[in-house]
Amino acid sequence: MMNMDEQHLIGRIQAGDESAFAEIVHIYKDRIVNYLYQVTGDYQKAVDLSQETFLRVFFKANKYRPIARFSSWIYAIASNLAKTELKKGRRASLVSFDDIQPGHEARTPSEESMDSGLIRNLRQALEALNPRYRIPVVLKDIEGYSQEEIAEIIQRPVGTVKARISRGRNILRRQLEKATKENLSFQKREIFDGRY
Amino acid sequence: MDDISLLGKLERVTAPPDFEQRVMTQLAQRRAALPQTRRAQAFRYSLAGAAAALLVCFLVLNVFVLRNGAGRAQMAGREVTEVMKAADIVPITETVNYRNEVRDASSEPQTVYILEQVSYASNKYIRY
Repeated sequence: MMNMDEQHLIGRIQAGDESAFAEIVHIYKDRIVNYLYQVTGDYQKAVDLSQETFLRVFFKANKYRPIARFSSWIYAIASNLAKTELKKGRRASLVSFDDIQPGHEARTPSEESMDSGLIRNLRQALEALNPRYRIPVVLKDIEGYSQEEIAEIIQRPVGTVKARISRGRNILRRQLEKATKENLSFQKREIFDGRY
Repeated sequence: MDDISLLGKLERVTAPPDFEQRVMTQLAQRRAALPQTRRAQAFRYSLAGAAAALLVCFLVLNVFVLRNGAGRAQMAGREVTEVMKAADIVPITETVNYRNEVRDASSEPQTVYILEQVSYASNKYIRY
């Protein structure tokens, strides 16, 4: 039903109907902003890229073919914009894996703060991950898309998507383990120095 | 618990409250600027077209210039013939059997020098 509605809306956008476009923006704005935030790690950048994504949806609407789901198409536009942006800013803002500092309170007795430390490490590891792996991992593990849908979005075969997700997760896992070990030794050092 | 499963717990964000309004404003601005953009695009294409036309003209002219060069050489040949006719000069052509020439010179080193006229601009003609 949703799909039919969206097909109808995109048909209206193709005819230049701005109210249909406003509906599409209303439906997708939070999802696209969140997706781009997870990929770029920068809220302002995510908002700007989301605006550009929607404008492209309007101006390139006549290029949309109903063979793909509308959501896949809009995510594909957002992914391409994010990829370009990440490439542009790679030199300026690349976070090296070695720069990931163990969070001070990443491992504390309470489960909640342990999670928050881990999440911070995870966020840093995600931001350091190459966009080639980051985009499929975000689409799968945060946005909840299936591998087939991701293949449609990033326009790569399903096998490639599976490999990239698996490799991306492995890299994240390794980085988290490394950060945790460093964090433990950091805490031991603090206890030894008498800070605790 | 697998650390990767925490990806789902990463902080989620939503669009700012004025997001839709900002998008619609930008849309209006872009639509207004569209004719100008198209004009600029048309200008760029026409500039490229003019450059291509110039290139074609240059190539065509170049071919003509080359042809003229060849024509000039032909003209020089024709002029020589006319001068010869005017001076009542009969061009003599002698055929040479190189085999005989070589045989006669068999005692000499076996190098044959073939001398040929390389220019039509010579002003020395044989008179009979």
